[in-house]
Amino acid sequence: MSYRLVCKSDEIREKSMKMFRVDHTEVLVGRLYGRLFACNNSCPHRGASLVKGELKGDNVVCWMHGYEYNVFSGTLENMKSWKKEDAWMEQSSEWRRSGDLTLYPIMEKEGTIYVCL
Amino acid sequence: MRYIASAYMSNPQSPKGTVPNVVALEVLRKNGVDIDKLIKLITAGVGAEFTTYYYYTILRMHCTGLEGEGIKEIVEDARIEDRNHFEAMVPRLYELGGALPRDIRKFADQAGCPDAYLPDNWEDINSILKVLLEAEQCAIRSWGEVCDNTAGRDPRTYDIAQRIMQEEVEHEAWFIELLSKRPSGHFRRKFVGQSPHTGDQGSLIHL
Repeated sequence: MSYRLVCKSDEIREKSMKMFRVDHTEVLVGRLYGRLFACNNSCPHRGASLVKGELKGDNVVCWMHGYEYNVFSGTLENMKSWKKEDAWMEQSSEWRRSGDLTLYPIMEKEGTIYVCL
Repeated sequence: MRYIASAYMSNPQSPKGTVPNVVALEVLRKNGVDIDKLIKLITAGVGAEFTTYYYYTILRMHCTGLEGEGIKEIVEDARIEDRNHFEAMVPRLYELGGALPRDIRKFADQAGCPDAYLPDNWEDINSILKVLLEAEQCAIRSWGEVCDNTAGRDPRTYDIAQRIMQEEVEHEAWFIELLSKRPSGHFRRKFVGQSPHTGDQGSLIHL
């Protein structure tokens, strides 16, 4: 494991995220409250591309099913409910089950961002 | 070979003999396709088509009364075309080294879209239309992921996925039109399950 150059620091502005391909791995890099994060770009639930989602608080919200994961701890924080109306049934617990984000160590040095895969 | 091996390792129906080098996969790997990820996305996608076919059967049966009769045929079009999507993509799943799960429960649990359950107030035809619309919109996102992961890198998978996408986009337009009454260029299919875009991809058309 070694740190790989990803991008220049000014490419990742506050409250934004970008996807980079590092050794065939899609890595999502972003910045919140001045703090950088890096994780695998695949949603742990069904593999959707997280860069298409949005940042909300400390979480990235997946665009496919609305699952929310904390970008610093990787944990699943909020699972969308499908019971939006009284008449709608909730999805089965097995279908809703999800793992956590795969996080990568990240560092910023002299205007450049590096991640460790 | 790494991708081939890992794909078969996760497949409980692994071939007993040695699998020769598959050039069609080697090309994808050289193009930067993450084959394991693609297999997962496709398995989720065809799982959603299969479960949707099942749930649309129930929804169609509940399209009753004067209003229900009016949408029954269009629900049937979507139902059969979703089955066609399953048929169109499953052979590609196996070409890539993937496989359908042996247990259908597992297959349903890893489907890319939620189950399109019949709502409790199904007598209100709009409630059925909302379920149909949500299912189609999820399918568009699901096949959009496959398209994005294969565009310019895996023309064979991309071709099938984009054909499916085109029909899913049409299905979404149908249900939006029915719910919102917005103007639309939609006209009825020539026959049930026509699948104008995936019809040549191994679909099961019943005339």
